[in-house]
Amino acid sequence: MAIPGNKDTRDGIIFALPFLLVYLVFMVFPLGFGLFISFFNWDILSSGAFAGWANYRRLFQDELFFSSLWHTVEFVLITTPVLMVLGFSMALLVTGNSPLRKVSENVFFIPYILSMTVVGTLWAWLMQRDYGLLNQIVRQLGGEPVGWLTNPKQAMWSVGIATYWWTAGFNMILFSAGIKQISKEIYESSQIDGANYFQTLFRITIPLVKPTAALCLILQVIASFNVFGQVYVMTGGGPHGRTRVLTQYIYEAGFRYFKMGYSAAMAYILFLIILVISVIQYAALGKERS
Amino acid sequence: MRTHNRKRAFIAIALIGLMMLSTLWAAGTQEQTKQEGPIEVTFWSLFTGGDGEFFDAMVDEFNRTHTDIVAKTDTVKFDNYYTKLTTALSANNAPDVVVVHQSNLLGYVPRGVFLPLDDLLAKNNAPMDDFVAAPLEAVKYDGKTYALPLDVHALIMYYNIDLFAEAGITKVPQTYAEVIAAAQAVQAKTGAMGLAVDNTTATYKAYTLTRLFMSMIEQQGTSFLNADNSKANFNNAAGEKALKALVDMVQLHKTTPAGLDYDGAVNAFRLGKAAIHFNGVWATGSFEKQADLNFKTAGLPPMLGKPAAWSGSHTLAIPAQRTEDPAKLDAALTFILWMTEHGDMWAKAGHIPTRLSVYEKESFTSLPHRKDYAEAAAFAFAPPATPAWEEVYSTTSDMLEYAVANNQNVKTALQAMETRINNIIASY
Repeated sequence: MAIPGNKDTRDGIIFALPFLLVYLVFMVFPLGFGLFISFFNWDILSSGAFAGWANYRRLFQDELFFSSLWHTVEFVLITTPVLMVLGFSMALLVTGNSPLRKVSENVFFIPYILSMTVVGTLWAWLMQRDYGLLNQIVRQLGGEPVGWLTNPKQAMWSVGIATYWWTAGFNMILFSAGIKQISKEIYESSQIDGANYFQTLFRITIPLVKPTAALCLILQVIASFNVFGQVYVMTGGGPHGRTRVLTQYIYEAGFRYFKMGYSAAMAYILFLIILVISVIQYAALGKERS
Repeated sequence: MRTHNRKRAFIAIALIGLMMLSTLWAAGTQEQTKQEGPIEVTFWSLFTGGDGEFFDAMVDEFNRTHTDIVAKTDTVKFDNYYTKLTTALSANNAPDVVVVHQSNLLGYVPRGVFLPLDDLLAKNNAPMDDFVAAPLEAVKYDGKTYALPLDVHALIMYYNIDLFAEAGITKVPQTYAEVIAAAQAVQAKTGAMGLAVDNTTATYKAYTLTRLFMSMIEQQGTSFLNADNSKANFNNAAGEKALKALVDMVQLHKTTPAGLDYDGAVNAFRLGKAAIHFNGVWATGSFEKQADLNFKTAGLPPMLGKPAAWSGSHTLAIPAQRTEDPAKLDAALTFILWMTEHGDMWAKAGHIPTRLSVYEKESFTSLPHRKDYAEAAAFAFAPPATPAWEEVYSTTSDMLEYAVANNQNVKTALQAMETRINNIIASY
């Protein structure tokens, strides 16, 4: 029972109020307002004109929208599996008995605390075709310089590589938390039964870390769908728009071309796509668990 | 117990209220004292790095020589500048003076966020005939002046004297054939790159292609868009010749390597590994700092006919405020006029001045290189005055880049570009 004179609901509301206000003003309101302006032709600076479904109709005829959406999907496919495996492998290393585990935990996680601009600029210079460090090494080894960011076939992978370096550490934290939750007794009893490292890994660690993996997968897919900064800083969407992702097009349409309504409409389509994928993932993974 | 609690709550609220009131009052008095001192003109500029130093030096000089006006700056990172400016303008929160590129200015003007300056200029007897005609014309929209040009930054030619000498080139190339011949001669005799022109987007978009394409069309006496900027005007013989010239540099004559990005092109020239480099005048400063680099500048050669060169311009504009304070407007204009009048200080960053009087100043004529390309201001043309320009510019760059990289048939490429550009213009 509640303590006399203590009103939990009221106090709860009061304590949550400062956050709630900020949340309403900066999250909930823009969400609703975004939907609202997607039905208008609006340039931010003057008053908008009602456009009905025109922005959504135009979107389905815009080849740039579809190519940008495809580039985003491509990025999701390039990054998600690798980041999952990489994060998990790093987590295995830092939760194991290796003498390097403290050092490697820091080494793996430090990139994640850097800002996206720093990471993007750093890798853009490393990968610069004529003067970048990577191609200096390639030349030393007698190879032809690689157009990391300028070859349309490789550019998206190069952005992917920078992203691996940058964000794998976050997945590592999630996975190592998951691994640490597994009861020591299970490992001990398997050791008594004579299980080797790989049997322990595949029969105990991986099955028991599945809920964490599910969470990690959903977060990773959402994060990859929202990719913007790395691409914007490293390739500027180039070569010839080959790496322009949907968020970049949304940004350009809104803040460079002043087509706020159109920009909001595209953002809402991206939102729907992410929503559907997340729900499917959640349902599929949830079913497996029960 | 209850009443006690209430009392405490009341005291707490009263205290908070009092604190808020006192800060408000303090802010109010501050505002009061400000009015009596010099007038404060706030401004935003987008200059960082090399340009930034010279701009800051000019502002310091302005503040040193003016007791009645104080100019205060807040430099915004170039990447975010227009996002920040747009939000500030929409919230009526913009500073008194802002730096805007001429090509961006006209995207804002139809939205009524900048003050037409004509009345203010007349009232202050601004010396309008001292401005170079072309850049001044470029800040007008529907016959009204919306900004004053601080500089012209035209596309020019940089060439390496040592490499030219080594290859036995004595005459500065003028026609397309001469440019290609010079580039090939250097490549054959020295192994250096012939023509450093970026054709691929990496950190920077390969805008040089678009700038050259537009210049080459103008050199043939026509223009990129039609007269009222409502349609593309490049799917014709002039456009084909211009695009072919760009594609051939990379694919046929091989004077420019494929996949060259902006940083690659600039650094190749800076390190003395390229004979000819086309870029805006802003690169001059960094080339000058490079030891052992012997280079000269010239206006963009009239490769396909008469002289014409793409140019941009930094302009100074006054955002429209909710309430206009005449004294502040006069101060803002004084600041703007002073900045343009001291274009010799700004020319140190490489830019071409916009005031005729500056060209006679000893401090300008004694600068190396500048006078070699200052004539370029006369045949520099500004991008078309249409709100659709940003999108047209960026789309054209992507498509030209694609055509050059894939050795695309020029007719096919121009047909696709025409359709896209016309669709874009129609959507505004």
